[in-house]
Amino acid sequence: MRRLPPVAGELIDRARTLTFTFEGQRVTAYAGDTITSALMASGARVLGRSFKYHRPRGVLSAANHDANAIVQVRRAGRSVPNVRADVVAVEDGWQVTAVNTRGGLARDRLRVLNRLAPFLPVGFYYKAFHSKRLFPRWERMFRALTGLGEVDLAAPRVLTPKRYDFCDVLVVGAGPSGLSAALAAAERGAAVLLVDENPAPGGSGIYSRGEQDDSATATLALIADAQRQRRIRLLPGTYAAGYYADHWVSVVAAECLVKVRARSVVIAQGACEQPAVFRGNDLPGVMLASAAQRLIYRYAVAPARRVAVLTANAEGYAAAQDALRHGIEVAAVLDLRPEPGSTSQRLKDALTRRGIPVEFNVRPRAALAAGRTGLAALDYESGAGGATRRLDIDGLWMSVGFAPANALLLQAGGQVRYEKAVEQFVPDALPAGVYACGKVNGHYAFADRVADGRAAGARAAERLGLGAGPAAGSPARGGDPPSHPFPVFQHPKGKEFVDFDEDLQLRDLANACQEGFDGSELMKRYSTLGMGPSQGKHSNMNGLRVLAKLRGEGIEALRPTTARPMFHPVPLSHLAGRGFTPERRTPLDGEHAARGAVWMPAGNWRRPEYYAVEGKTRAAAIADEVRAVRSGVGIIDVGTLGKVEVHGPRAAEFLERVYAGRFANLKLGMTRYGLMLDEAGIVIDDGVIGRLGPETFYFTTTTGNSATLFREFGRLATMWGLPVGLVNLTGHYAAVNVAGPASRRVLGELTGLALGPEAFPYLGLREAEVAGVACRILRVGFVGELGYEIHMPAEYAQHVWRALLAAGASRGIRPFGVEAQRMLRLEKGHIIIGQDTDGVTNALEIGMPWAIRMDKPFFIGQRSLRILQAQSRPQTLVGFTLPPDLPNRPKECHLVLDGSRIAGRITSVGVSPTLGRTIGLALVEPRLAASGTLRIRVDGGALLSATIEAPPFYDASGARQEPGEVE
Amino acid sequence: MSGSAATSGPIRRSPLDSWYRSAGRGTRIVADMQLPEAWLSPQPKTAALGLADFSWRRRLGCKGPTAEAWLAAQGFRIPADANSATLDERGVLVARLATSEFLVEAVDGGGAAVAEARHGLAAALRPLTVYPVERQDFVVEVSGSPTNALLRQICNVDFEPLLGHAATTSALLLTSMAGVGVVAWPRAGAAGPAVTLWSDPSLAEYFWTTLLEVAADLKGGVAIALPGATGESQ
Repeated sequence: MRRLPPVAGELIDRARTLTFTFEGQRVTAYAGDTITSALMASGARVLGRSFKYHRPRGVLSAANHDANAIVQVRRAGRSVPNVRADVVAVEDGWQVTAVNTRGGLARDRLRVLNRLAPFLPVGFYYKAFHSKRLFPRWERMFRALTGLGEVDLAAPRVLTPKRYDFCDVLVVGAGPSGLSAALAAAERGAAVLLVDENPAPGGSGIYSRGEQDDSATATLALIADAQRQRRIRLLPGTYAAGYYADHWVSVVAAECLVKVRARSVVIAQGACEQPAVFRGNDLPGVMLASAAQRLIYRYAVAPARRVAVLTANAEGYAAAQDALRHGIEVAAVLDLRPEPGSTSQRLKDALTRRGIPVEFNVRPRAALAAGRTGLAALDYESGAGGATRRLDIDGLWMSVGFAPANALLLQAGGQVRYEKAVEQFVPDALPAGVYACGKVNGHYAFADRVADGRAAGARAAERLGLGAGPAAGSPARGGDPPSHPFPVFQHPKGKEFVDFDEDLQLRDLANACQEGFDGSELMKRYSTLGMGPSQGKHSNMNGLRVLAKLRGEGIEALRPTTARPMFHPVPLSHLAGRGFTPERRTPLDGEHAARGAVWMPAGNWRRPEYYAVEGKTRAAAIADEVRAVRSGVGIIDVGTLGKVEVHGPRAAEFLERVYAGRFANLKLGMTRYGLMLDEAGIVIDDGVIGRLGPETFYFTTTTGNSATLFREFGRLATMWGLPVGLVNLTGHYAAVNVAGPASRRVLGELTGLALGPEAFPYLGLREAEVAGVACRILRVGFVGELGYEIHMPAEYAQHVWRALLAAGASRGIRPFGVEAQRMLRLEKGHIIIGQDTDGVTNALEIGMPWAIRMDKPFFIGQRSLRILQAQSRPQTLVGFTLPPDLPNRPKECHLVLDGSRIAGRITSVGVSPTLGRTIGLALVEPRLAASGTLRIRVDGGALLSATIEAPPFYDASGARQEPGEVE
Repeated sequence: MSGSAATSGPIRRSPLDSWYRSAGRGTRIVADMQLPEAWLSPQPKTAALGLADFSWRRRLGCKGPTAEAWLAAQGFRIPADANSATLDERGVLVARLATSEFLVEAVDGGGAAVAEARHGLAAALRPLTVYPVERQDFVVEVSGSPTNALLRQICNVDFEPLLGHAATTSALLLTSMAGVGVVAWPRAGAAGPAVTLWSDPSLAEYFWTTLLEVAADLKGGVAIALPGATGESQ
């Protein structure tokens, strides 16, 4: 065990031990340990294998800023892939294994790929995949070789909630600057939400200490203040992963995704420490100094016995002090700079006094491994001389620079510029309501971070009109740059890794640049730099530095890429969350269910496709429903139709503009078919318009369009300045259609309304009681039979439905579903908008000139139709017939061929129970319409020859829907 | 309360009627609406969150240039601003949904006044500039301390500041919850925060079962009130 004596600020509970297995080996841990800290405490060095070359990998950031420590966890019967070992607290009984290995972590057979690296240069897959012939082989091979964890296909579906949250000021990051920002905002009266991805707040204020605990003590005081401040909600273990418009931030908590709407946002996420780039910088044992500090101060783990610190800033010297304070031998401090800056001088002197060698102008050549266990030594040069020296060490801590964690800031639309004084990108222009502070702003000294945080928090609150007096300004940036301008050291044998996730070496970036991918966005996509699980947190900055050098210009000429949301890994279950898929049901839904309805979706409604009958097939049941309507009486629930009233003295004018037909002259108590077009003359909807009063119309739309069109009606009325009153009755009114020769008799038993052909003619509209309920009755030819469409308040639908069924029982009344309705309408040649038309079908192509009044002053689509009238039509709707019993039945969307050329498609087709043959409609090129036959290609490639026949196929005279006598 | 009073006219059905068939037993008539007499599964006696269907209440809707004047002439107290509501001494809520659109509901009495106004609205003599709006809403009330926690799972509006408002004059929100367009009346109820939601009746079963599903995740349990067991019914 490498566990240290108790350390102030540690997150582990030494009173609670637990055990788990890693690669089959038993490991003991404390509660609060992450998987990584527990493994490091047990002496493990190799935690995983790299993605491409399967190189052994250990701790790099200990903060999930790299993909070295991603594991598969089996627990409670479930196998969870891609668990982030650096940040996930281990639990008792877990079985943990490394991902992406063949034969286990130690004996991974794919480690042979490390030797094949010269044959796998950057972009090799682009060059290899272009061969169509070889692609299947490549695909199979790479699918087998690549990938991280394994998805457990037997895993149960986990319903995670989604949640919204609200605050005045959202502060992202609870380090010294974030805590200070939250306190300053709260002191001004703002309701603050403070989130931090770590299990406890404090950030580097807790773990980057050096000689003394001053900063940690001050940070703990800030935490205590924040916890006492009632306006601050502090949520550790919660990270912000994406930034969207209007200060919407997706915040990922342990149990769910929270969508936070903030009025102001302070980005205080600190900085991600960056590795130096040199040969072997990925060996287990080589890690970021901040990783070592996290392990020491958060988990009381000594990550090495003898270390060297490779540094270029004061933080590296502090890390050396941290090592010494916890009994870790410091072999040397190796400074890349020619001399310590003013910030580091005092720290350097303190180390020198303790006998720690400090060398300058260091150039690491290679980290060397011993067997399979990781780092054993470092070869380096220093000073002006060129002699290579070797240090025997088991730990190399890198503290050569930082990249600001500004992904959210960039997603918010912030602009950054490169600031030479701190050798990093800093905010240049921020969107209104977005503030940055601390290391993101280029402030690294503790006092500056606190002052900058307070300034940002105060400004964020001030913007909301909170607090008195102006907010203080940010401190000036000063001191030595915390980042080295180019911590990159090429080696003739390569393996200097820039991106650990993707195994990208220095030469890969050089090759990409040479091949023309010499912009930051181009290089990213070609080389996959920053496209791994860590989204470039440890690699983008060095990648930019390398690219700038390759281009022969300063890094200030380049811009960092913007990581898309989510820039931090988020479990898919969190992203999916609880799904909300509204489904509408008519008030007769229970009645249909009781009668064996088989459901189908229609828009966002569910409707009976047909009613199942024991012992009968679907087709037979539907055919029986059709026959019932044609021979007696049927009833169908049409409550899903859009139902709208329009009121006002200019209501008729509104309808004249919306529909292609004429409605100003519609008589009271009558209805008329309406066809609705868009501005291009495309058919988008149809319905029946009825006149209830001089200034009141009631009309229907198709089921699927009802909600969209009602919104559109409101928009049009506003745009046209028409003072009409629109009322959406779609869900509030039910509707049934009673159709068939016996329908008049059935309805007659329930109403006192005169139903005779003269009193209530075809296309009439009446308001009358049916079974004691005030209804609207439309005499429409819905399915080509005598029929009545009865509309009523939804709460009485069941009453009326049952009354109609009772009244029609002696006549064999039968409910029918959507499929029977389709066949009945197809027999009559009634088109269905959206099925017999598509997104390019204009009103001239569907053979309904009677529904269009071009002599009106205006209607939507009229201008386009005028233009289209002068042009030839690309398609026209025709009817066709075929024998009933075909081995290969034609289906909707089967193609109509002209020779070998596609010349149209079937829009509706079926075997008519009434006519005993196959009938259908097809959109075809007009030339074919005159040919008499259509060649239809059905499943399997067979060709059918159909006879063109003008619809309607049934009752062409229309006598059945307008009978003079009852039955 | 009318209890299971007989009715001479047609029976109204709740938008949740289909759900009641599987969850309830027995029938009784409240305000001419058929409702279950009891639940098949007993409800917890104490629960932090309460859900209740108030679709059975009498209500009316109207809009139009003179709708405000017409309602005032019927004796209703009209809220001054759009998106606000008043509750008068009779227990009648007048919700102003827009400049000239109103929803009137007998939420705690005043059923007769609402029924009378509804009759007048349907009559041929109503002014042409008052347009009746059929209101067959699914009306559900959520109450109890976790009300805001539930709302935060289904709606992107911050209700917290509104759940402390008095019922007599309070804000009204037209928003979307779990994909359903609703009119929301948040307020401080007798037993903690409460919100009444009016929605399209065709979405009743989806919305109701979604609310139950979300509520089940919240601490403290949920109790479903027997509809019509409390409040004015006529």
